[in-house]
Amino acid sequence: MTYTEILYPVLAVISTLVIAFIIGTMIPGLERKYIHARIQQRIGPSVISPGIMAPIKFFFKENVSPNSTVPRLYKSLPIICFIAIFFILLFLIPQTYQMGVFASVISIIGFLKIEEFCYVLMGSLSKSIMSLPMPFPDLVKGAVHLNGERSFIEDVSSSRALRLIAFGSFPFYLSLFVPVSLVGSVYFKDIVDYQLSHGPILFSVPGILGFIVFFIGYMILMNEYPFAILKTKADVIEGPYMEYASKYRGVIYLTRGFLIFTLSTLFSVLFVGLPPNIFSWNILINIAIAFIFTLIMGIVSAFSPVFTNKQFYPAVVATSILGVLAIILSLL
Amino acid sequence: MSEKNKSNQEKVIETEVALGTVHPAALEPYRLRLFVEDEIINDAEITVGVNHRGIERIMEGLPVEKANSLTEKVCGICSNSHIWNSVLTAEKGLEIDVPPRANYIRVIMEELERLHSHLLYLGHGSEVLAHETFSMRAFSIRETVMELLRMIGGNRVQYGVSIIGGVRPRCDLDGGRLQKISDGLDFIEKKVADFADRFVNDSIVMNRITGVGQISQKDAIRLEVTGPSLRATGVDQDLRKVMKEYQDFDFNVVTLSDGDVKDNILLRVLEIPEAIGIIRQAIKNLPKGSVVNRSWEMFDTDIIHSHIEVPRGTLYHSYKIDRGKVRGSIIRTPSMSNIGAMQLACIGNHITDAQLCIVQCDPCFTCTDRAIEIVDLNKID
Repeated sequence: MTYTEILYPVLAVISTLVIAFIIGTMIPGLERKYIHARIQQRIGPSVISPGIMAPIKFFFKENVSPNSTVPRLYKSLPIICFIAIFFILLFLIPQTYQMGVFASVISIIGFLKIEEFCYVLMGSLSKSIMSLPMPFPDLVKGAVHLNGERSFIEDVSSSRALRLIAFGSFPFYLSLFVPVSLVGSVYFKDIVDYQLSHGPILFSVPGILGFIVFFIGYMILMNEYPFAILKTKADVIEGPYMEYASKYRGVIYLTRGFLIFTLSTLFSVLFVGLPPNIFSWNILINIAIAFIFTLIMGIVSAFSPVFTNKQFYPAVVATSILGVLAIILSLL
Repeated sequence: MSEKNKSNQEKVIETEVALGTVHPAALEPYRLRLFVEDEIINDAEITVGVNHRGIERIMEGLPVEKANSLTEKVCGICSNSHIWNSVLTAEKGLEIDVPPRANYIRVIMEELERLHSHLLYLGHGSEVLAHETFSMRAFSIRETVMELLRMIGGNRVQYGVSIIGGVRPRCDLDGGRLQKISDGLDFIEKKVADFADRFVNDSIVMNRITGVGQISQKDAIRLEVTGPSLRATGVDQDLRKVMKEYQDFDFNVVTLSDGDVKDNILLRVLEIPEAIGIIRQAIKNLPKGSVVNRSWEMFDTDIIHSHIEVPRGTLYHSYKIDRGKVRGSIIRTPSMSNIGAMQLACIGNHITDAQLCIVQCDPCFTCTDRAIEIVDLNKID
């Protein structure tokens, strides 16, 4: 193996990750400034504020000790989330396609499940002052119910995160199997090669259905309105993130932007056949897809109220049925 | 106790989730205890008392004029309603005639405040619903009302318009000001119509709020609900119809029948054109003459009571005047009557809808925080 044969893939992987990171930090600002604020006829924040300046600000803030039973594990969870998403993007880069099962849909599902499970742990390990320990005489004179089992509001978000793992994010994973069943392989290399010869899967009937299911699943996974049951302001406030401060909150901010870019890159690999390669102009299409996803997500979330179970369950069931239909069509 | 409440009392409470006293979905500090079973609320308990300022106690012994100004600090949203009712109480006791022009200006202020309160309700309700766009639009329309209030009173809150015998001369309305109010009303009317059109035709939003937080007419009457929340259950009750200050004005009392979040929101939307109509009538028929009657004398009175219809319901003020000082002041805000309905509305709904069920009754807990309990430490074992 020559020197260039080693250097070239390493350079490609590092520079793609750096570009992804930069775009990921810009995306929340674009969403807030040019989509939400424009729709709502207000000025909005500076573009660099939500994705770049806010994390920097948080990194230099003093940390407050979280009120958690296992503080070290609790503090490490946002970093685990970030690493899981980092690995997803890493295995989407074409230079890593020779890593066998890691560069496949199965490993992506595994890493995403780690990220989802972190929310369950975050919620169950957090005990913020926002509900029960608030210095307030709860059992006031005339209180009807005494000595009941008492729950923190993060516990509610934790049980919701568990429900998301069980069936909430099901449509997303179904949509990943549309290209898999069409190509007959779980490996990204085969999926990309298939699309090089047959054209993008997106422009087929199962591909269009798969895109709809993927997008709805993407919004559920991103916890965006109307599917933001995990961090509804009306009850659980910030949900699992409530107790995170300083650099941990900064990591959460960075993770969100990074996840937006990563999932849209996953879409461009599975449905368009364009992996993120820094040495190809196709990287611009990856970036454009990330912006288009942000745009559509911003518009949908700006015009939607938060769903409760009554709306959330039917939406998930209908999307799942559509996903199954897309898989059946792709098998025909 | 309603059947709905009775059956819930007998149930085993699975889990209690407490929200507040500090919570981003609540505009004010209050504690909400929710007793839930699989995220469905079995019972709810609201506790206020965090923001008690003892205004009635501070009013004790103050000169009437000063006490009236103090009542304006009870609420930042319906400050004009408080000072107007407090002044009306004094005027009733001291038998003071108010010049017709002053009465018309007071009605204009009150109806502008109704607009601003209802638009705030729409904005806050949409925010709790997590529909940021509707929320921003409602607040954007409200801005025009706030500027009109600032133009008349000099402030965006606590305008200080009413004084005993009329209104402050600086708050008199000349031709230019009346024209600005007319233009502002045209703008608000158009924007509110657009907002209502979009709101009603948004099927996701309507699906989300229909049938949520329903209160029956029977329960509303039993719990002594007041104001728009009562009218949303189909009860045709509006004190403005019997207030002599409103006898020159022609308007309809809007009622709807379902008593849920949807009807509460729509009722307030429908009340906005009625309020605009009243202001237009007042501008058109504004009498000429003085805006304040200064020829009155102070004398001692018995306890004086005054009820008026404010944006949130019936507001009650009472005190007696003793050598020019206020004694035994009592202020009862509409939210005090509506707390029971808020608790009842939560039952049977999803935990995410709890704040929405409370917001549908347009609460103002900070204004309601006025009861104090005096404990004699010597009598405690």
